[in-house]
Amino acid sequence: MTAAVYDAPAPGRAWLPRWFTSEHPLPWLLPATALMVVFGIYPALYAIWLSLHKRNPVLRKDVWNPSANWLKALADERVWNALYNTFLYTGLALVIQLSLGLAIALLLDTDRRGYGLLRALMTLPLVVPPAVTAMMFLLMLDGSFGVLSRSLYALGLLSPQYPILATSSTALGGVLLADIWQWTPFMVLIMLAGLRSLPKEPFEAAAIDGASATQAFFRLTLPMMSKVIAIAVLIRGIDLFRIFDYVKVMTDSGPGTATETLTSYAGRIYFNGDFPYASTISVITLAVVIIVSTIFMKAFRVRL
Amino acid sequence: MEQSVLHRTLRDIAAVLVVAIFMFPLFWWALTSIKPMYAIFNKDHVVVFDFVPTLINYAVVLLGWSRAEIAIESGSTFGVGGTSSYDSRQTILDSIIVSVGSTALTMVVAVLAAYALSRMTFRTRTGFLNWVLGQRFMPPIAIIVPLVLMYKAAGMRDTDNLFMGYVGLILIYALMNLPIAVLLMKSFFDDVPKDVDEAAMIDGATRWQTFRRIVLPMVRGGIAAAAVLCFIFAWTEFLLSLFLTTIIRTVPVKITTFVTSTGSEWGFISALGTAAVIPGFIFILLVQRHLVRGLTLGSLKE
Repeated sequence: MTAAVYDAPAPGRAWLPRWFTSEHPLPWLLPATALMVVFGIYPALYAIWLSLHKRNPVLRKDVWNPSANWLKALADERVWNALYNTFLYTGLALVIQLSLGLAIALLLDTDRRGYGLLRALMTLPLVVPPAVTAMMFLLMLDGSFGVLSRSLYALGLLSPQYPILATSSTALGGVLLADIWQWTPFMVLIMLAGLRSLPKEPFEAAAIDGASATQAFFRLTLPMMSKVIAIAVLIRGIDLFRIFDYVKVMTDSGPGTATETLTSYAGRIYFNGDFPYASTISVITLAVVIIVSTIFMKAFRVRL
Repeated sequence: MEQSVLHRTLRDIAAVLVVAIFMFPLFWWALTSIKPMYAIFNKDHVVVFDFVPTLINYAVVLLGWSRAEIAIESGSTFGVGGTSSYDSRQTILDSIIVSVGSTALTMVVAVLAAYALSRMTFRTRTGFLNWVLGQRFMPPIAIIVPLVLMYKAAGMRDTDNLFMGYVGLILIYALMNLPIAVLLMKSFFDDVPKDVDEAAMIDGATRWQTFRRIVLPMVRGGIAAAAVLCFIFAWTEFLLSLFLTTIIRTVPVKITTFVTSTGSEWGFISALGTAAVIPGFIFILLVQRHLVRGLTLGSLKE
């Protein structure tokens, strides 16, 4: 807006200071700022402050000791295990959800009758509470009566001796199934929007030049969709990185620490009462998210 | 492009099959909710349709039926014990209060901020937008421990005061939904030409009058879409309500308490779970048009 407009005195309210009238951005932004400072910035700084203390379990007091928790975290194998699990989970989920999402979007991207209904149905998993999704898959993956487990046994892909969620090597895969079911539709939706926004002319030209559908996909569709894909990967990646609900409900980080992620590890420490160390793990999670997303946004020139 | 009938039929079959696979867990969930116990826990074979449907599970979680009433109704006393902990009426009411309250608060705060971010130029504008975006990226776990301590100190956690419990969750859900609401509303305000505001202000209207009388009515559809998304995110939230309140159990938290060391009450779980997804399904179908924009924080439009 031009300066001239909002430098003009507010009609009828000239007795108020200008920064307190609707002509100035301050009153408009004040409620949002207050909310974000009190419940966002302040707790984040508080978490850093807490991480500089050490829990004394005997006295039940947190004592100032700036390096204790950070050195402990560096040497803590469970932190590295959780970091590995979190990255593995995020990476696998992104690759699977993106490729499935793109494939399904290509399949459903037509104006023919009935496909609108199919596209609408595809969005339903998105609104199921993740804790409920976790329960759904817990039921279906139950080792003795779960419908999905029994189908996998019948197909010979799993053995009843090794229930998927109770076996270290497969538990993360079981959790991943719930995530894939719930969030592939997110990718489908965004890819569909991307496909719909593509211009028609290059494809017509390619068809005239005799390009095959496969060539058109890799030479035209994918490059033109790169911005959309980058945005989808960024948003999904950040949410994947803080995975908590599925792990908490389906395996509670187990068996052992096989499905322990940064978030669930922090949660476990919190419930054990060591608030400063839990804060340290939380701050590490925040730092990793900031670093990875900044690198990603710079590398792929994404702007939201 | 010309497509053969065979090609088209194959595509139809594939499309229906894929969507059916994604619908299966929902179907199975709803089916489980009307199964009697023997059909759910049958270890000999998977029971699909060979059972007598029952609404007992819904009666327990939604009407608060007791075991005695179940026994009279079904003539079975399988798993006798208290059912009062499965009565979810208070839970559903709590979830509705918290979701509606936080949606209202988020929308008021977000619409004001979004209007300024869309219409005014000031030095800190870009910085403010980045801050909002950064807030969206911040994992809730990063602030959960300090929040617990803050909530305890403010009397919003470990209290018997239900009202304070509501206030606590409403405030934190408002923060959680603020970024998506601000960015989404900004994108809707950006769609309204600035000439509209300028014309009104040349006629002597203040900023507030321009906003209230002219621009706000033009983005009603956007407000509805953003509000629906905020409601859904609050309704489905798990981590914050698990940590931040002891007196309120929202639906997602309540449902996980049905898993006990002696076994899971799958009938009750699936009944409450099925009931819990229905409002989301209705709302999401209402805002299909704005869903992509909402999920990408206003950066992609359909």
